[in-house]
Amino acid sequence: MMEMLRITGLHKRFGDKTVLNRLDLTVPEHSVFGFIGKNGAGKTTTMKTVLGLLKSDTGEIFVNGEQVVYGETVTNRHIGYLPDVPEFYPFMTAPEYLRFCGEITGMQKTDIANRSKELLELVGLEGERHRIQGFSRGMKQRLGIAQALLNRPKLLICDEPTSALDPVGRKEILDILQTVRTQTTVLFSTHILSDVERICTDVAFLDQGTVRVQGKLADIRTKYRREEYILETEREADALRLRTAFPAIRAEGPNRLIFCESGKNAVFDVLRFVTEQRIPLLKMERAEPSLESLFLEVLEQ
Amino acid sequence: MNAQIAFLRKEIMEQTRSGRLMLLGVLFALFGIMNPAVAKLTPWLLEIMSDTLAGNGMIVTTVTVSAMDSWVQFFKNIPMALIAFVLTESSIFTKEYQSGTLVLSLTKGLHRDAVLRAKTTVLVVLWTLCYWGCFGITYVYNAYFWDNAVAKNLLFSVVCWWLFGLWTVALMVLFSVVTGTNTGVLLGTGGVVFVSYLLGILPEIKVYVPTQLTDGNALIYGTAGTGDYTAALIAAVVLSAACFAVSVPVFRKKQL
Ligand SMILES: Nc1ncnc2c1ncn2[C@@H]1O[C@H](COP(=O)(O)OP(=O)(O)OP(=O)(O)O)[C@@H](O)[C@H]1O
Ligand SMILES: [Mg+2]
Repeated sequence: MMEMLRITGLHKRFGDKTVLNRLDLTVPEHSVFGFIGKNGAGKTTTMKTVLGLLKSDTGEIFVNGEQVVYGETVTNRHIGYLPDVPEFYPFMTAPEYLRFCGEITGMQKTDIANRSKELLELVGLEGERHRIQGFSRGMKQRLGIAQALLNRPKLLICDEPTSALDPVGRKEILDILQTVRTQTTVLFSTHILSDVERICTDVAFLDQGTVRVQGKLADIRTKYRREEYILETEREADALRLRTAFPAIRAEGPNRLIFCESGKNAVFDVLRFVTEQRIPLLKMERAEPSLESLFLEVLEQ
Repeated sequence: MNAQIAFLRKEIMEQTRSGRLMLLGVLFALFGIMNPAVAKLTPWLLEIMSDTLAGNGMIVTTVTVSAMDSWVQFFKNIPMALIAFVLTESSIFTKEYQSGTLVLSLTKGLHRDAVLRAKTTVLVVLWTLCYWGCFGITYVYNAYFWDNAVAKNLLFSVVCWWLFGLWTVALMVLFSVVTGTNTGVLLGTGGVVFVSYLLGILPEIKVYVPTQLTDGNALIYGTAGTGDYTAALIAAVVLSAACFAVSVPVFRKKQL
């Protein structure tokens, strides 16, 4: 399998603050790659470095096998980029903007016209005749995807494409990303884990400037798979007693607890405690571990 | 080449659709009309006031105005027009830095030089059109009411002022690529022009600084000859060229 993007040993400091610390990342071709990290983890910094917009201190980046050099744009011909807060010329209409983008990329006139029409339909802006200054955030985000895909990039990089949107807008964007997967490789950053679960084939968890875990979503799930149990007690005081007895149990509500099957607090230990202490239970359930608990577990290591 | 034309077309579209072209056009036309109008109205105004003035013991003799008065007005008002021009266009680069629109275009393979060329061209052409439009209006009215021939070195004096404006445009470009904020552009451009003005107060240095070019009155009255402006002309041309030349490498390396 071809690698669309390979980052090795990327290091970046702003002043005395280390933002990226020996970051390694490999994005396989035709994947939908979820780049997960908290606010300030360094997602935008990584993406801007890939685009040659930021200078790295050390490390190498290869896009489609070609090395990225700061300040140069040759490797960007493989990349379509949607920034975190996309801003377009407000005095243009969507078709005018796409035409402008096509011309500065060096596309042929007829190609620009055909491709613009196709993409505006894909993102649902085909009937829009107003200038961009009147666009909502969702519309800007959709135009952003259209401009990023215009010259058929091999790699589509989207920086938190869904963060500012409502659930309906989010679903629309995710559907579009899923649709374009056949044409390109998608790398998108997010901190919304349900988005990742919905469309990603691969993920990487970014924490404190390094990638802690990465790989196929399915593999990661299997590797970190532990049975997860949800326990609801009748009284809040009992939930507290359980948590004191088993420190690894997490609280999800005043009387709702979650714990994973592991050597230390195996489900039977908990159940024995419940029986011995005669704790009335409302519910006990075995659940598929969510990406969130997986993420938290990775971070705790 | 196509990319260059596309970006230039975008710049022109921005000037027209944002209304800035209209604003500057109206402003410079108004200044152009105002110069002869003020000259024409002066005797009339004095006549209205003459009764009051006579009551105060002042005797008003009939004043005759000529094209000269209109040209004096021209050189008095054109600095305000230039200031309006600088204020209107100072954000031509910086707005794009702040909104991130430029970054997006650059990631698509647009060359930075093309951006610099397009924006510089728009500024130079716009200043030239506005300035000569304003001059043209004043010239035509003056020719209609009086006779432009009374002003000595007229063409030379207005070319000097145009060149001074061009130098200001060059400073705007330089400070746009060096500083990156609107305030930076205004402070930088204003600061350098002010320093040039201060230096111009010293008699030994006066003829070497570009602000010398703004003294059009001395030329049209004939108290100064064209030779007195040669050094300042050369200085303005060399400094403008230097500003444009330095902007290229600075802009190529600019962190956006
Ligand atoms: N130009 C800069 N100068 C100084 N520090 C910076 C600069 N850009 C980013 N940082 C710092 O780098 C860190 C990572 O920023 P980055 O924008 O990459 O995070 P992120 O993962 O994209 O976060 P978010 O989810 O909020 O978008 C932050 O702590 C930020 O303060
Ligand atoms: Mg970010």
